[in-house]
Amino acid sequence: MATKILSVDDSRTIRLIVGKAFRPYDVVLLEAANGEEGLATATRERPELIILDVTMPVMDGVTMLTKLKEDPDLKGIPVIMLTAESGRENVLQIARLGVRDYLVKPFKEDQLIEKAGRCVTLQKRPVATPA
Amino acid sequence: MTQTIQLPSICEFMNRHLVDVFETMLTMKATPLTDGGAPQLEERVTGSVAFAGDHINGAVYLHLSTRFAGEVAAAMLGLTPADLGEAEVNDVVGEATNMLTGGLKSWLCDSGAECAVSTPAIIRGSAFVIEPVPDVERQWLVFDCNQNRIVVEIHVKIG
Repeated sequence: MATKILSVDDSRTIRLIVGKAFRPYDVVLLEAANGEEGLATATRERPELIILDVTMPVMDGVTMLTKLKEDPDLKGIPVIMLTAESGRENVLQIARLGVRDYLVKPFKEDQLIEKAGRCVTLQKRPVATPA
Repeated sequence: MTQTIQLPSICEFMNRHLVDVFETMLTMKATPLTDGGAPQLEERVTGSVAFAGDHINGAVYLHLSTRFAGEVAAAMLGLTPADLGEAEVNDVVGEATNMLTGGLKSWLCDSGAECAVSTPAIIRGSAFVIEPVPDVERQWLVFDCNQNRIVVEIHVKIG
């Protein structure tokens, strides 16, 4: 059974990079462009992991995470925050929100896989063999 | 505290940070070139992100030739330049500019100059110039990356 991971980021580039990182693994990647869409997708799909951007229009990552933690059905989903800002205050704020881990952009795909692998089981996608 | 922040120290940080962004996201080696003043800018894709706070404000522009911007986008997304349209290339250049300015913001905040950043904007073409308003300092940083030029233009007003 493929692992469901939700990528919430207003940047299509980042969602594509996240998708590229998980391509070798048996993962179904769900996408949302802001916190509001992310919450709706999380409620509907119950992903096993959420990769969540901090700064987004409509609803930012901090608000989405707060609402996620208030929902008894969703609060157990591990969240890895993505942020373009590595400043002390920003990192401390993220840590206080109760996220499982965080990554500062720019990041290497290996770093994302390593952090995701600590939250969910990632199995290599079977290699298709020619008939 | 913000008195220690000057344009040369911002440029020094940005020289390191651009190399890091290109190495980390693209596995591309960028090398800072000695400042030679205003660079020749051809047909290009330019990303811009502004930053503003009580003690500092300005903008970061990332200029890439249209061809090299396509190569950068392809490298970042694991595709070939032929697979990409203008929108994808714009998005990648915007995101790269966002990462550059996000790093600068963190450095400024840690140095005592709190500020916020804008969302990225993209300009395409060759027949345009970006002029700073009065009292704003400007500096160009030029990098070589596999014989391509990367130009970062920084506008800043301190105090």
